[in-house]
Amino acid sequence: MFKSMLEAFLNLFRPIRTLKYPAEEIVLPSGYRGLIEYGIDACIFCDKCEKVCPPGAILFYQNEDGTKTYRYNPWLCIYCGECVRACPKPEEALWQSETKQLSALKEEGANEGWFVWEEACKQSREAYATAKKSAKIQNKSEE
Amino acid sequence: MKKTIQIPLGSQHISLLEPIRFKFECENEKIIGVDADVGFVHRGVELACTRSFEFKQVGYVVARVCGLCAITHSLSYTLAVEKLLGYVANDRIKYLRMLMVELDRIHSHMLCLAHTAENAGFEALFMQIMGDRELIMDVQEAISGNRVQFDYISIGGVNRDLTPELVAMIHKNLGVLTSKIDALIGLFDNNWSLSLKYKGVGVLRLEDAYTYNALGPLARAAGLATDVRAETSDFPYEDIGYKMILESSGDIHARNFLRLREIVNSITMCQNIVNNLPVGEIQEKAKGKPNGEAVVRVEAPRGELFYLVRGSGQNMLDRVRIKTPTFSAIPAMIEVFKGAEYADAPAILASFDPCMSCTAK
Amino acid sequence: MRKIETTLTTLLRDIGAFYEAKKWHFLSVNGIDLGEGKIELQWIFSQYGVKDEVVIYYALSDYETPVPSIVTLIPSAFMGEREIVDMFGLSVDGAESGLYLDKDSLAHPLRGES
Repeated sequence: MFKSMLEAFLNLFRPIRTLKYPAEEIVLPSGYRGLIEYGIDACIFCDKCEKVCPPGAILFYQNEDGTKTYRYNPWLCIYCGECVRACPKPEEALWQSETKQLSALKEEGANEGWFVWEEACKQSREAYATAKKSAKIQNKSEE
Repeated sequence: MKKTIQIPLGSQHISLLEPIRFKFECENEKIIGVDADVGFVHRGVELACTRSFEFKQVGYVVARVCGLCAITHSLSYTLAVEKLLGYVANDRIKYLRMLMVELDRIHSHMLCLAHTAENAGFEALFMQIMGDRELIMDVQEAISGNRVQFDYISIGGVNRDLTPELVAMIHKNLGVLTSKIDALIGLFDNNWSLSLKYKGVGVLRLEDAYTYNALGPLARAAGLATDVRAETSDFPYEDIGYKMILESSGDIHARNFLRLREIVNSITMCQNIVNNLPVGEIQEKAKGKPNGEAVVRVEAPRGELFYLVRGSGQNMLDRVRIKTPTFSAIPAMIEVFKGAEYADAPAILASFDPCMSCTAK
Repeated sequence: MRKIETTLTTLLRDIGAFYEAKKWHFLSVNGIDLGEGKIELQWIFSQYGVKDEVVIYYALSDYETPVPSIVTLIPSAFMGEREIVDMFGLSVDGAESGLYLDKDSLAHPLRGES
């Protein structure tokens, strides 16, 4: 009892424990799990990252000429790093940075814009698959 | 005329962290009947695990059941799937997983102690304990790369390794914490105003602990020797200095004291793990698809966490059953409330350390 | 893990003969949907102080058959029973709906895809 009273009295002369945020920056430890970054030059478009991503934050759009477009939703991402571990070329094609994502603005369409994109990706794949199929049939009939 | 009055506690109340509603039937100041409503944060995680996510992704889904015990949830699920895949982790993976679980236990117990202090009217102590808790949160953030959602455990291993800087940091922070916990033990034992609120209040008798299947710190404070760490062989807890800690009086003071002593034990275990870390890979390949049924029990900070996973050799699982500690502790909680004074209810409730987002899942 | 088969009619007798409060810890009641209206119900126990001893009593049933309540034997079982009432829409004697869902909810989320 008297010990805790003494402790309380001594606390008057001890330094303050609270952090002075935002006047002082908070230093994050190195190795902080931040945004996923993508290097298009090394990517081989194997779609492995898309398949393993738990929330589905990486999606590839299938272009008509056979190439694919990468798109990533930083607000949906849970920063688990599963995609980087699945990537056959980590550090070159896909890697985890230490940057922190800020909150989304309305204009950025974190939700609605992504739903549109999800739908577009799905349709592009179906269209590509049917186009390929019909091309195959055409080739066969020509033969 | 009715002799009793009904007083609700919750679902929003200043003494509660999370939404739970108790309806107390009171006779003057005494509580004679209790009704609990726990389903305010039901999110359908069990359904999502079998319908929306493949088995490799579910580990990250169940980690979102609860913020405080995220690591125990992903650990139990991962262990269950590894059993189905017939994979046994090497010692280094086991030790690293145990390290995270024990660190989690330390900070979860400290949160509970802080809230019991706050609900007994000692707000300065609340702030002090929460401040000390940051020591452990910092270590966890440095190890896993995130403060709350660790995403540290994956099927076949752990995602990150310990570096020498991390080991030094763990030793430093645990050393600082040990002296702080020693001071807290003295404070909880000797402070007169805290003992008024804690000693002899909210007693769970040993008989009731057996009858109502109490678990975790709640049961051990009443003298029931049950601890999943001693009842499963998934982890070599005996090698790292695990001791079962028991109290006998079953009141709030016993529960607080048990938690403090468990923190001391966990600190020793963490130091032993870091000092005797075996060599080995941290990620191994676990191939195949889960087929069959597996049960896993892991000691979460609040008691026993139980997972039942059933798969049929496909990417989607058939059933993921999550039984959380607070869910099983509710019958015992209701029993403790009966006969207590209404004014003590917030402190008693905080001493159970209830986790509603676990319960409603 | 040991699995012991039982039926809904003999459940109370089996568990009554098996359960001792000081030896067994009652974990929970669990349901697993097997598809086509069939359901597997499980009553799960673990032994105090013994390593890896989990006993599961299971019974096959369907959605309509009422499930006997074991609250008379194990008073803490009411939480698990209320949960399966909500999640599978079964009827258990004395267990109310409305633990997780609304009291008058018609949904039974864990039933097979229907």
